[in-house]
Amino acid sequence: MAAVSFKVNGKPVSVDADPSTPMLWVLRDHLGMTGTKYGCGVAQCGTCTVHMNGDPVRSCQVPLESASGAEITTIEGLSASNNHPLQQLWSELNVAQCGYCQAGVLMAAAALLKAKPTPTDDDIDTYVNNICRCGTYPRVRDAIHKAARQLRS
Amino acid sequence: MGTQRKISRRQFVVSTAAVGGGMAIGIAVGGDALAAYADRNPWQLPDKAGVAEFTPWLTIGPDDIVTVRVANPDIGNGIITKHAMTVTEELECDWNKVKVEFASVNRDYLEKGIYSTGGPLSYFSGRSTAPGRQQLYLQVAASARERLKLAAAQTWNVPVGEIEAKKSVLTHRSSGRTLRYGEVASRAAAIKLDAEPKPKPESEWTFLGKASPAKIQIPLITKGAATFGMDVRQPNMLYAALLQSPVHGGKLKSHDADKIKNMPGVRGVIVVDPSEPRRPAQELKSPFPLGLSAAQHGVAVIADHYWQAKRALDALPVEWDDGPGAQWKSTEQLNKAAYDALQKEGSKIEKSRGNAVELMAKASKVVEASYLTPYCDHVTMEPMNGTCIVTGDRVDLWHPSQHTLQAMYIAAEETGLTLDKVHVHQTWVGSAFGRRVYGDDARMVVAVAKKMPGRPIQVIWSREESIRQGRFRALMAAKIKAGLGPDGLPMAWIAYASGGKGFSMRGMHDGAYATDGGVIPNVLVTSETLNTHILTGPYRGPGYNSSAFFIETFTDECALAAGIDPLEYRLRLYAKWPDEGYTKCLKEVQAKSSWGKALPKGMGQGVAISNWGMAGKPEAGTTVAAVATVEVSKKGELLIHAIDVAFDTGRIVNQDEVAAQVEGGVIYGLNMTLNEGLNVKDGRIVEGNYDEYPMLRIGDIPKKINVHFGGLSNHGRFGEIGEPPVGPIGPAVGNAIFRAIGKRLRTTPFREHDLSWS
Repeated sequence: MAAVSFKVNGKPVSVDADPSTPMLWVLRDHLGMTGTKYGCGVAQCGTCTVHMNGDPVRSCQVPLESASGAEITTIEGLSASNNHPLQQLWSELNVAQCGYCQAGVLMAAAALLKAKPTPTDDDIDTYVNNICRCGTYPRVRDAIHKAARQLRS
Repeated sequence: MGTQRKISRRQFVVSTAAVGGGMAIGIAVGGDALAAYADRNPWQLPDKAGVAEFTPWLTIGPDDIVTVRVANPDIGNGIITKHAMTVTEELECDWNKVKVEFASVNRDYLEKGIYSTGGPLSYFSGRSTAPGRQQLYLQVAASARERLKLAAAQTWNVPVGEIEAKKSVLTHRSSGRTLRYGEVASRAAAIKLDAEPKPKPESEWTFLGKASPAKIQIPLITKGAATFGMDVRQPNMLYAALLQSPVHGGKLKSHDADKIKNMPGVRGVIVVDPSEPRRPAQELKSPFPLGLSAAQHGVAVIADHYWQAKRALDALPVEWDDGPGAQWKSTEQLNKAAYDALQKEGSKIEKSRGNAVELMAKASKVVEASYLTPYCDHVTMEPMNGTCIVTGDRVDLWHPSQHTLQAMYIAAEETGLTLDKVHVHQTWVGSAFGRRVYGDDARMVVAVAKKMPGRPIQVIWSREESIRQGRFRALMAAKIKAGLGPDGLPMAWIAYASGGKGFSMRGMHDGAYATDGGVIPNVLVTSETLNTHILTGPYRGPGYNSSAFFIETFTDECALAAGIDPLEYRLRLYAKWPDEGYTKCLKEVQAKSSWGKALPKGMGQGVAISNWGMAGKPEAGTTVAAVATVEVSKKGELLIHAIDVAFDTGRIVNQDEVAAQVEGGVIYGLNMTLNEGLNVKDGRIVEGNYDEYPMLRIGDIPKKINVHFGGLSNHGRFGEIGEPPVGPIGPAVGNAIFRAIGKRLRTTPFREHDLSWS
């Protein structure tokens, strides 16, 4: 096994592990970054969403071997000090309940706002299709729309 | 506005995200929100030097930080925020200087139940608004405030009556001198009061019931810092992947560890054998019977990393002896057994009042129908897991428990250590809904870890393992028969219920219909338990989440037979019930949903009302009424336009958090009703992941979930809000579907029904 080199939140890392290891477990178990969560392992729930070269991906489906040279952004790197508009609105609008799925929701929402600064409800339905068992969806939607307004102004 | 996705039985929408790149966002608008807070590791640690403990529940540090110890795990329902608010109200401290941590159950044991003695406090779980617990925090805070004032008075040598406490500052009114709480905390903590001060009357509250702070752990969540169970990292930690007998109660027949021992990272294969003797070193008086968390036959692979453990477990040859559970070949067989059991009076009489059988024969109109709700799993977002190290004289368990104290007793029984040697560290919890109360997850974690003593082991159940080894909401069925009187209301009511082992009758025999003094004068309720092997446990509103569907769907059928509008019918029924909250809730949703408005064919409104927590009494528990406004396309796709909800908890303390819990409860109720149902094949649970056990996504929920506050009676109680909303949602939607297309749905999940019409 040869080590695979890539960047996480701007920092170069090199991981020597089974090349089939999903990025989810690389982040959590090899790099000790536990902000990215395991929910289903089959790309259903979106709890493990990170950005890979700017695009949101379900990290349970990204084998280590495919990440060579990639730039990965995790929830720990979404902003410098918990100050992405989404992160702040999450507190302001009391969005999270248990919070376990929310890193994935935030990463999906942040990617949506980058791609579509004025997202419609349909855009949110399509791109932020994560599962939240607590049922935070109404507040997730409100926070995304409000963040979009903040980012535009 | 976008359009809501329609739900049909053939097509559940599963879309994938693929968003193009863009510019990085980098707007600095401040750091973490300023508010009360908790640490990423929320469990209680020894106090730092200089921190003054006023009681085991409350400390104040030289930096003014007030630490509130909480004996309820926060599973996303805002419990710690509520307790922090309660303390802030009486302590007159700065909200931004309040910290919360989870109380240590080890200390609770060593200090003879300081966190768990008496009344509702014996429950390291459940609700924050339990009167005893709210009162306790008010008293603790009032006492600390008075001691701080006395300490300031002593420092300045002035009468205590001249001291004002506000925002963590003590002020001598006439001289204007000030001291921070932290400056006198040590002196204050040493003061013993002659008499405990009385907390101020509720009419003088300025924070409780007035402010609506967001959950204080949200800043930790949004930066990925909150330590959930699976996020625990210990030095030299290994990972275990676990597989339990696919048929509950089955046994491990054989496995071939040699086949995988050379796979990368594998450190060992461990067998969990429930028949091995467990010899508790002392008598264990656990909150729940320890048998509810009995170990299951299982096998675990331990490896350096979880992915290695999982791959090796998948490759491990394993044979099971399925045991008697395999007799249940199919879901249909189970359902038939449940329906068959309804054909005669059940062996257990749950409630008998008046003369229902005789009057039924005399009734001018009789309504009868049978209903069934299936096994359901909580599918908590965080799969079952835990981290444990067992040594000769100590066990440490880091666990996303819903009942920390229960987990401690389980760890003691499983290891044979005495309770003083058991240290359970309560982590953040990736949702629970009842799943993590009995503690079978804690049990299996300790059972694995004790076989590799001296090493911390993190045991992870895959999503498939978590679902198939759930402690499910039990299968339940009911046949209800009502004899209507001249006024169209039931004068006699007979309900036979049946269910898989562990099912609960809550709501069937102790609701406003059947209970003593209830609105129906003659009642017979019986039950019959099937000989099932499938393991069950509490699931958001146990029993109630089925009984509300049965009773409220049936009430609609009675209203139809009587020719009375279903909402009006319920108003007439509850006019006889001495709790005005029911009527208030009904009238609130009637007004707010524009009940009765003309709708085209294919659209309809349905209503339902239920109460969780009343235990047979008026002005108790929480009443929730809901109106669903739905549209069904000719192809049979269901579109829920709006859910209007009103509730009566008596009073509330945090309006926005209550709204959040109701919204979530509505969505939970929708999932339960539209989507959820486990299937059984040869004794095994069929579904293993979200592709087979679908959950509503953001585009699937009604665009309008309207939470109304006009149902509140202002009765003196603070009822709970987590469980109650799940009750009326399903029947309200089902009743709306009936009004839309004339099809009556008597079983869930609704997605299995063909709703097409012409």
